[in-house]
Amino acid sequence: MEIKIEQLKKCYGSHVALDIDNYTIPEGKIVGLVGNNGAGKTTLFRLILDLLKADQGNVCIGDINVAESEKWKDYTGAYMDESFLIDYLTPEEYFYFVGKMCGLDKATVEERTAPYERFMNGEILGQKKLIRNLSAGNKQKVGIVAALLNHPQLLILDEPFNFLDPSSQSALKHLLRNYHEQTQATILVSSHNLNHTVDISSKIILLEHGKIARDIENVDGNAEMELETYFEIND
Amino acid sequence: MLFFDIRKLQKLDAKRSPMFEKNRFAKLLTYFMVAFWAAYLIFFGVVLSFAFMEGCPNMEPYHVLNQGLIIFLILDFLIRFLFPTPIQAIKPFMLLPVPKRKVMSVFLIQSGLSGFNFFWLFFFVPFGLITITRFYGLTGVLGYSIGIWLLMVFNSYWSMLIKVLVRQKFLYILLIIPVYGALTLIEFLPETGWLSTFTMNLGEGFILWNPAAFIGILIAILIMGYINYQIQLRLIYNELSRKDDLNISHISSYSFFDRYGNVGEYMRLELKMMFRNKTPKSQFWMLLVCVCMFVAFLSFDIYGEGSFMNDFMCLYCYIVFGIMTLSQVMAIEGNYINGLMVRRETIFNMLRAKYYLQCIFLVLPFVLCLIPVFLGKLPLLMSLGYLFFAMGPVFACMLQLAVYNDKTMPLNVGLMGKRQNNNKYQSMITIAAMFIPLVINRILTGIFDQETASIVMIVMGLAVFFTHRFWIYNIYQRFMKRRYQNMENFRNTR
Repeated sequence: MEIKIEQLKKCYGSHVALDIDNYTIPEGKIVGLVGNNGAGKTTLFRLILDLLKADQGNVCIGDINVAESEKWKDYTGAYMDESFLIDYLTPEEYFYFVGKMCGLDKATVEERTAPYERFMNGEILGQKKLIRNLSAGNKQKVGIVAALLNHPQLLILDEPFNFLDPSSQSALKHLLRNYHEQTQATILVSSHNLNHTVDISSKIILLEHGKIARDIENVDGNAEMELETYFEIND
Repeated sequence: MLFFDIRKLQKLDAKRSPMFEKNRFAKLLTYFMVAFWAAYLIFFGVVLSFAFMEGCPNMEPYHVLNQGLIIFLILDFLIRFLFPTPIQAIKPFMLLPVPKRKVMSVFLIQSGLSGFNFFWLFFFVPFGLITITRFYGLTGVLGYSIGIWLLMVFNSYWSMLIKVLVRQKFLYILLIIPVYGALTLIEFLPETGWLSTFTMNLGEGFILWNPAAFIGILIAILIMGYINYQIQLRLIYNELSRKDDLNISHISSYSFFDRYGNVGEYMRLELKMMFRNKTPKSQFWMLLVCVCMFVAFLSFDIYGEGSFMNDFMCLYCYIVFGIMTLSQVMAIEGNYINGLMVRRETIFNMLRAKYYLQCIFLVLPFVLCLIPVFLGKLPLLMSLGYLFFAMGPVFACMLQLAVYNDKTMPLNVGLMGKRQNNNKYQSMITIAAMFIPLVINRILTGIFDQETASIVMIVMGLAVFFTHRFWIYNIYQRFMKRRYQNMENFRNTR
């Protein structure tokens, strides 16, 4: 599912948070989004998910303008932060809830969460704990698994490696790669961890002060060098 | 000095809270409520002073009042359960290079000097000015006021101690049984009346500036303050690592909602929201107690047949749960709004679920109201009239707030937490929900007899109920038009 961005601009007062002329995120790729704090990564994700009103321009997922129709929600999965989680539910209840919203019955939800048991590492399912009592890392895992439940053709994850221990970070990389191989979905991942981003992405977008500063095709590890150079220069 | 530094931080915190900063109406409402209660207490102070003069000609009015001081102290004790304890506020100071003992002392001194400890003086000062000045002049009133204030300070520490312990284990609430049990015994054992005699003498001691009375209460304050200090210091780490519901023994699945699709799922979610979060749960039980109390009033017919209060209490029983939940519609969902908004048409189904659940909840007050109905104190048609009117126009108006509520409601803070979020629409619609049905009922009973008026209200209620899909969809569409503005405000106030 490709994402078309046209003349997209978002300002907070006089501060321009995002300003992208025309850009298309191609279908079927894992795209990494990197940039320093305040570069506009989260703002871009919110605009793509219609959680924020653009001051100018629009975003289309496939042929659908996200601000005008809700159809894109049927094939999109996303997790950005804890405001996606209903923290007074247990993880199982939350998965069933999200499943129901996507038209899935309990058995299908269980079937679809089963492949992620390694990622959840026995700390999430069957614990009889509410989400609010899970660790930050486990909350993150619940959000990511929930985003995958409807087998989305477009998956958007904001800083998914945050709060995860090294083993879980590695497991998440495998999970995303496998999911991409199986479904050819478009996956959009933002991260401050350059290694992880380079490892999984076939394309990397570097944002700087709300604008796309670089658009890097990740071939033969060239992206890693380019990014390291860029961030060292800024240091 | 640490005391003033902490005070400065607290003032900034209150002033810059997004809930308060952007909500002038909430500020005004708070000032209005304080002024209202102050005026109410002054009024009672004046009325009671004359009532005691006339009713008890053989006793001085202040002696009569002082005999009942324990009632004020118990009331004050209960009200204070709504306020947070110092131990809950100490967390941000734990990593600062300040001894925690000092910080705790500051919080305890602040509690002692809290404005609320002076609030009862709105009652006692006018009462004293009318009754005490005759014999002891203004100095008598001054001594009495200081004494009462000191009693309230003591009471604040006592109440704080129980609150702190109850937060650790609810069973500690039982501590109040031996204390108030002993006080009851010494008062009501045959031919004793020791408690009322003691409080009468204590009050007179304050009026006469008797040093023993002041020293006694000061020592009591110091002891209670010290106990609080020691206990709260020991419990700091329990409080910091506190998790209320770490492991749940029983997870309710409410599986009967399975057959109702997405709407059923939202009804299930709504029930879990109500019973798994501190704020709605405590509100629910408190309101249930109020409903039971009103049903008891109706059953015993304490206001007399045909009284306006009977109408009010009957209506209140039916609308109160709706007011609790529907006045906060979307404000609750503000906590997880992003998760909802990335799913299709969820808000429409959620609004329907909320409405259906509130309609189902009406069974509870209806069953309770059958008691006065069977006792012949409440006409069945009147009860049904208010039930259907609540289900129809009242809930329909309350649900309009889904469009205008744009501040996230915290689900697990005390009722007097600083981030309360009533906006002007909430207050207006809530007040309208409580009085306009009564006005309509009065108009209808002015035109028809009571039975016909009730039937008209039932018909109006059913008409709104049967068209609910249309008006809920309209609310949903209006919400979607305002969604960006609301979502931004939800994010800012989360």
